[in-house]
Amino acid sequence: MAIRVNPTFINELDRYGAEDVQLCYQCGDCSTVCPHADEVYRFPRKSMKLLQMGLEQKLETTLEPWLCYYCGQCSEQCPREADPGETMMSIRRWLISRYDFTGIARLFYKSRTAEVLAIIIVALITGTFLLLNGFSGGSIKVYDGEGAFLPSNFIHRFDLSVGAIMLVFLAINAFRMWKMVMVRGTSFHIPWWLYVREFYQIIWHFFTQKRYSECEKKRGHALYMPWLIHLGLMLGYVTMLVLVMVFIENLQAGPEIQWKVHIFGYLATIGLISGTVYFIRGRFKKHYIQYKKSHGTDWVFVILLFLIVTTGITQHIFHRTGLIELANVTYVLHLMSAVPWLLRMPFSKWAHLIYRPLAMYFAAIRKEALTRQASVQNLYPLVVK
Amino acid sequence: MRIGVFFCQSAENRNLNIDAIAKYSANLPEVETVQILRIKPLPDVNFISGQIQEHKLDRIVIAGDIPGYYKPLFTRAMAIAGAGTDEIYLASFQEHGARGENAMDRAKAIIACAVMGVPFPLAAVPGGNPVNHATLIIGGGIAGIQAALEIANAGKQVYLVEKTGTIGGHMAMFDKTFPTLDCAACILTPKMVSVGQHEMIRLLTKSKVMSIAGKPGAYRVKIKKNPRYVDVSSCVACNQCAEVCPVKVKSEFDAGISLRKAIYIPFPQAVPNAFLVDAENCTYILSGGNKCGVCVKRCPKECINLNEKEEILDIEVGNIILATGYELLDATRIEQYGYGVYPNVLTSLEFERLTNASGITGGRIVTKTKVFNKKLNKDEWIFSPEGLPPRSIALIHCVGSRSRKYNQYCSRVCCMYSLKFAHLIKEKVPNANVYEFYIDMRAFGKGYEEFAERIKHEGTFVVRGHSASVAMKEGKMFVKGEDIINDRFVEFEVDMVVLAVGLVPSPDTEELSRILGIQRDSDGWFSELDYNGSPTDTDKGGIYVAGMCQGPKDIPDTVAQASAVAAGVLRSLTSGKGIGHLSSLSLSEIESRARALHKI
Repeated sequence: MAIRVNPTFINELDRYGAEDVQLCYQCGDCSTVCPHADEVYRFPRKSMKLLQMGLEQKLETTLEPWLCYYCGQCSEQCPREADPGETMMSIRRWLISRYDFTGIARLFYKSRTAEVLAIIIVALITGTFLLLNGFSGGSIKVYDGEGAFLPSNFIHRFDLSVGAIMLVFLAINAFRMWKMVMVRGTSFHIPWWLYVREFYQIIWHFFTQKRYSECEKKRGHALYMPWLIHLGLMLGYVTMLVLVMVFIENLQAGPEIQWKVHIFGYLATIGLISGTVYFIRGRFKKHYIQYKKSHGTDWVFVILLFLIVTTGITQHIFHRTGLIELANVTYVLHLMSAVPWLLRMPFSKWAHLIYRPLAMYFAAIRKEALTRQASVQNLYPLVVK
Repeated sequence: MRIGVFFCQSAENRNLNIDAIAKYSANLPEVETVQILRIKPLPDVNFISGQIQEHKLDRIVIAGDIPGYYKPLFTRAMAIAGAGTDEIYLASFQEHGARGENAMDRAKAIIACAVMGVPFPLAAVPGGNPVNHATLIIGGGIAGIQAALEIANAGKQVYLVEKTGTIGGHMAMFDKTFPTLDCAACILTPKMVSVGQHEMIRLLTKSKVMSIAGKPGAYRVKIKKNPRYVDVSSCVACNQCAEVCPVKVKSEFDAGISLRKAIYIPFPQAVPNAFLVDAENCTYILSGGNKCGVCVKRCPKECINLNEKEEILDIEVGNIILATGYELLDATRIEQYGYGVYPNVLTSLEFERLTNASGITGGRIVTKTKVFNKKLNKDEWIFSPEGLPPRSIALIHCVGSRSRKYNQYCSRVCCMYSLKFAHLIKEKVPNANVYEFYIDMRAFGKGYEEFAERIKHEGTFVVRGHSASVAMKEGKMFVKGEDIINDRFVEFEVDMVVLAVGLVPSPDTEELSRILGIQRDSDGWFSELDYNGSPTDTDKGGIYVAGMCQGPKDIPDTVAQASAVAAGVLRSLTSGKGIGHLSSLSLSEIESRARALHKI
């Protein structure tokens, strides 16, 4: 099959943040130092090469970008300062926009204005809707129960419908990813039972991010623990998502603290706040090479998340301390930032929550299938004694 | 005459302040208008012709880095305006070398000449002064030796200044030359001997240029001759002094892999073939004459004088040749290869000395052995002739070259000498595995590509891919890399790693450039006047560059350039005039010369 070459591909990726790819002269230093590169998945050099050659169709079927957690060792080592780490990051951004069938992700990545505008519009629509609804049926002086401004059963339905929309988009995109990678991008046979056998990979990588921990190396800096912080952030986020989607009525009950649910909420908040503060600080201070360049979407990501968490915990505190009006106002603000976030999720960086474990899963399947073929024996490291 | 000056200059040349130059040119006689045009997109021809008509211009000066590019445009504009198209003058900043420190003055002079219609080189190059027939050569490597012999054989006096105790430079350290695999010493030593014996060459070892005065054709140079402490004429190199000397230090000639005494001869074929004392390590000199001094008592010829003082020489020369050479980049800076940490990681020069038949192991390629040093009370890794031959060696190219972190440039010789090493290893240790890690094989010279192909067929594993790291695991050394052509990772256990370390200018380059007023490029090498047209001249008249000090090059190129320099010097000597170059005149001088020429 002929492969189409897109000669301007490198310029397109420039918009996603891969600015220095042309500098690369293919020495392979980056692949050599990468803690994750192995015989089957050798990156970042190969991804850089596909990019340089404009092999768009081939690059979109690769899983390598998702196997990279951007520890930055490759960028530190690179003699050409071509920044392979940032290139992998940019390819991930591009892949998110490729998996997305609506084209929204592509728009957001290419235009920061469009992204910010969309967020503001959705936030305003949400705010108006909630305010209209609140004033029509309840009073701002009541938080929960009869005549509440934002009754918990209403919020529950509201959350579920937003969540459902998000899930539909995400599922379609994940399906597209599977088709691109495992159907179009795989030339060899994959037995169906491998999908079953390797399924644990999704769960394992989702909840432990084991591979990320392998990225960490000592840098003589006490605060360098991105894996732990990232794990805390992710677990906090998932906990909060479950609480909001399923246990919202218990969450909103009060004013006494419902320890059974709230303890999880507090833990999640600690994870989320420390995570967002850590990453915002990192992007400001630029201590480490992976924070040297921040794409516009990275900023939107951390800042919006920080807003959601702070407004969420603030309304909780206001409610518990009896400041009902303030609690209701911050609650509206909280939802105004959370809804655009949730709706944006399938089109943004946050989609890696799904794509990355999926990619690990697919990668394991592919590798296993490849190993089953006799030809792969040649790929194994040359052992010369 | 009504003159218009038009600047067509991109903003890239940071040395030039175009506004200031424009102001200066506005004050020149007969200048009617001075305009700074934007060049992207090209200026409109109708606009220019309008300006020509408005100011009634009959001469136009186009100023900029590449004014010739805009000349057709202005010719058309002149034709449209109905003026004669002959009177268009170019003030080319780039061509006439408006760069570096006095770029502004030069640019002003260029403009002044163009306005007056005088060719810039005519006004700026001073007429020849009577030339002094002696020539000074700084640096006694192969470039300096070759140039010295060429000039001296033509019957002219040469002063050859060398900072170390012997001439020969780096080439004397090499084992073989590529691609012919000739013995380097067999080519070099006869030349060294002729230099030492030549009646027209005065050899000044352990010497340094202190200052320079005068103009092309008549330079007065002050040279500091450091004491050698040994009388060259009576020393017979019997080695008895070194036998008794108690001080041991690392040998520079052996790239630090062997030891020498504080009184030593760099190598047996040194020229002048006499011992010298290392003042920085000699106990007698360091203690101010209170301790030691055994060599003086031992010397049968009584030629050692440890109280010798330095000498200042004043010489007058007509031409000066710079041949100061290079040195290796400090490999300890590149931490990932563990140079200085792992004992058997060597630089190219160290390996060159190891494999040389006159080296410490007699040319056997061996790994270092661990020896207990009683004095320092710790283990040391040294080469000894009893060492074990390596079973496998990795050669890593581009260490510190072609890197944005160290040297941006290609050092040109590393690919070839690494291939040469591969050959020498295969020749001397036939069972050893040799792994050659390269990024791009730069075999550019005559016979080089064939040599590279030959090495590949000799059984060397040539891996296209840079090795990123050398690591130690359980006492074994591993080199890891990506084999890009065969699409796999490779990890080899090796006993020895040879790093093809990049080249940097010799440390004296900076001081010399200050003393002589020669410009250096951004990498620190001496700048030639024009890379294509006059690759051996500098922008200062009567001063030439030869060899590595102008930029990395191999031995054939160095020798060729040295001979070319000799031709330049002899040209000036036979014409009897010191050939001046551009920067020898100041702005006001050029201006007045241009005015005088203008009147003719």
